[in-house]
Amino acid sequence: MQACFKDKVGDVLLPGDVFSFQMPESITDSKPEKVVCGPGLRRNGDEVLVCKSGILRHKQPNLYWIDSQQRRYVPGKGESVIGIITAKSGDIFKVDVGGSEQASLSYLAFEGATKRNRPNVQVGDLVYSQFIIANKDMEPELVCIDSCGRANGMGVFGAGGLLFKVSLGLVRRLLAPQSEIAKDLEKMFPFEIVVGMNGRVWVKSKTIQQTLIVANLLESCENMTAQQRQTLFRRVADGSI
Amino acid sequence: MRDTPLSNCERDFLLKAIEEKKRLDGRQTYDYRSIKISFGTDYGCCFVDLGKTRIMAQVSCELITPKENRPNEGIMFFNIELSPMASPAFEMGRQSELLVKLNRQLERCLRNSKCIDTESLCVVSGEKVWQIRVDVHLLNHDGNLMDAASIAAIAALCHFRRPDVGIQGEEVTVYSTEERDPIPLSIYHMPICVSFSFFQQGTYLLVDPCEREERVMDGLLMIAMNKHREICSIQSSGGIMLLKDQVLRCSKIASVKVSEITELINKALENDKKARKTGGKFGFAESLPQERITALKTDVSPVEMSDVKEKANEIVQRAEVPPQTVPSPVLTAPGTGQVGEGLENSWGLEEEEEEEEEETMELEEGHKEKGRGDMVVISDSDSEEEDVVILNQVTTKEKASSSNQQGAVASKQKQKKKRRK
Amino acid sequence: MPSSLSAQNKNKRRQFPATVFWFSLGIVMEVCGSSSPTLREFGCEQNLLSRPDGSSSFVQGDTSVLAGVYGPAEVKVSKEIYDRATLEVVMQPKVGLPTVRERAREQCVRETCKASLLSTLHPRSSLTLVLQVVHDDGSLLSCFLNSACMALMDAGLPMSCLFAGVTCAIDTDGQVITDPNAAQEKESRALMTFAIDSTERRVMMSSTRGSFTVHELQQCIAVSQKASDKIFQFYRDSVRRRYSKTL
Repeated sequence: MQACFKDKVGDVLLPGDVFSFQMPESITDSKPEKVVCGPGLRRNGDEVLVCKSGILRHKQPNLYWIDSQQRRYVPGKGESVIGIITAKSGDIFKVDVGGSEQASLSYLAFEGATKRNRPNVQVGDLVYSQFIIANKDMEPELVCIDSCGRANGMGVFGAGGLLFKVSLGLVRRLLAPQSEIAKDLEKMFPFEIVVGMNGRVWVKSKTIQQTLIVANLLESCENMTAQQRQTLFRRVADGSI
Repeated sequence: MRDTPLSNCERDFLLKAIEEKKRLDGRQTYDYRSIKISFGTDYGCCFVDLGKTRIMAQVSCELITPKENRPNEGIMFFNIELSPMASPAFEMGRQSELLVKLNRQLERCLRNSKCIDTESLCVVSGEKVWQIRVDVHLLNHDGNLMDAASIAAIAALCHFRRPDVGIQGEEVTVYSTEERDPIPLSIYHMPICVSFSFFQQGTYLLVDPCEREERVMDGLLMIAMNKHREICSIQSSGGIMLLKDQVLRCSKIASVKVSEITELINKALENDKKARKTGGKFGFAESLPQERITALKTDVSPVEMSDVKEKANEIVQRAEVPPQTVPSPVLTAPGTGQVGEGLENSWGLEEEEEEEEEETMELEEGHKEKGRGDMVVISDSDSEEEDVVILNQVTTKEKASSSNQQGAVASKQKQKKKRRK
Repeated sequence: MPSSLSAQNKNKRRQFPATVFWFSLGIVMEVCGSSSPTLREFGCEQNLLSRPDGSSSFVQGDTSVLAGVYGPAEVKVSKEIYDRATLEVVMQPKVGLPTVRERAREQCVRETCKASLLSTLHPRSSLTLVLQVVHDDGSLLSCFLNSACMALMDAGLPMSCLFAGVTCAIDTDGQVITDPNAAQEKESRALMTFAIDSTERRVMMSSTRGSFTVHELQQCIAVSQKASDKIFQFYRDSVRRRYSKTL
């Protein structure tokens, strides 16, 4: 069964493509094969259906998913995103994360926040937070603390920096461990970067010029091969652009 | 749908960058984004790309009766469509403030500046004039819609050709493009709108603001000008106070920009003309960028049709034999009839049948036959008046009989009810 | 006026498919009859607009359509459906306001998209598909369908299958013409547009005009199914090209 997938790893698949398997006649109870379907793959009876266009990716031992370049974010549990506070209502903030619905964020879901000691968050502020509830039928909910009650990097953004949007595919490439893009960027000059799974990226550097350079580079390396990207980055670092 | 809100961080950064004379896309203060003008296959169809802002304009014409107070002037009509494609904030069919503002500005820029000779659009004074309609579709909103719209509209007007008309006595003939070459509009000058956005109460000024810059700006000054440096319209919005010097400076910048853009439009028009003349490729289909990896094009491809006939035969044979079509009118239920070609007329019947809903089947069949018989008589007779008379006679007779029967049925039913009780 | 104009232009620069020469060349008829109908050259660009979540422009010959998709996005309470996404299709004509004809075509495209989209995966959200006519030179509905499919794919919306639109015309001699241009459409006795799905080549939507026999209908369906293979292969090639640098 896995062989069927392995053949196609790295291939471009389109919605409607189907993986069908010949179920072995004698059911060997000893070792049932399992495959975990990630985004873009759906089980349909004995088959696995592709429902998004993109590249089939594989992660050991048995995880498969479709890597696509979409722009619209759909909340997923546990994902960290950059949200914009749009309203305060009662005990919760309403946060725009770019999904189909505004997420809610409780006053108390910040490190050290109590009923008395409310966090200082204004409408229009940016928050880096994590989804604890995200499913298609419920209003998504965000928190800015981990399970131990620690901020762990989350919370309201300080002043300065620039927020911009890139495609979700690029964000995933940036966030991947040992990301080549991130490595290439690091070589240029020091800067702070926050990458949300919802396609929003926040960059802050020493000068406005440098911040703009990073933002424009990231926006442009969507459709570039590693080589093209490295040449471009090198030219920028040399100051020729 | 709601637009993505602008965060405080973006606002602060933009304003700070503007103070430092820096812009998001690396432009200078007075720089326009790259402008691309292309024309469609039709005459009068123009696409303008201003950075990521994309606009399509289409000019069309129609013969109408002129306004009474201006019997020998053609009419210009401008219509801007805020297509929901351009921005999630745009909704279908809603007269938003932005739409009214854009439409008004475009009218002021192109109609009130009298850049088009409307008298040449007159065909017969007081009776027939051309109405030139300009539809501007916003396809992608990334700021500075007005400038892009004005460029698209004027370029489309320059590109447009209206059909030739001939007048012989009272008769007006509109010649098709095959018969006579269509005629371009006579355009005196080309007004182009240039927008200036002001920040920090007018301290800083930017040309061609992008969408995010538009969101943080304090005020906007739009100057429509032609290449002869004549100002056609000027409008300030956002409620900022501008000094005389500022306006003068803006008009100077505008004159430079307008001459550049006019040059660009003329070049684009010339290229298109050349392409059309030499029979080369033109139009939107040819402007598809081949070098981008998001784009792909194929050549004409044949469709294999070898076994199509066999397949079709097979399917048809396998399928159930369709029921024979019945040539005679079928009254599926009392009170219905069929109207259409090739069917017998059954009109005579219908009116009473509505009243006779409770009738029994035998009775209805009887009527049908009767009705048909009557119809023959009617259709044979020559004068219409007679028809009516006959029809009336029949109906009254029938009514009488049917009402009798109806009465009988009704009474029977009553009896039944009584029994049940 | 625009349609006749474009026809003239085409005369200049492109030869008609063989089927048109029938009247003058009776002898060649046999040869022409056996030659198969063609799809005009077609092209597509994805992700060309910056604002929509998915966009595409599809070109078939001179016919060209621009499509933009927003979604899954916020939905108005009045349009909210509790168990699936609300799909809206808006068609913008080139001149004037949308008329009944546009509404009817919107309906055709909407039903097709509805059948292929897995809208239950995004309940209480809205999917908006905006289609803009760029140039009409025949087979407009099929061009709408193709650009809609590409735009939906670009937006990354979950779909159970892809679909392709194919228009067939039956000319006065009973010959089937695929992907007719405006002039061919005008001369044809019957015009049919089918939406074909990618998995089993089934007919998802049909829209017909004029009169034809059952046999002709089946023949056109069979031709459309054949033609759809080309379009699906094109979809695959263009998506593959698009992802070629991120492989």
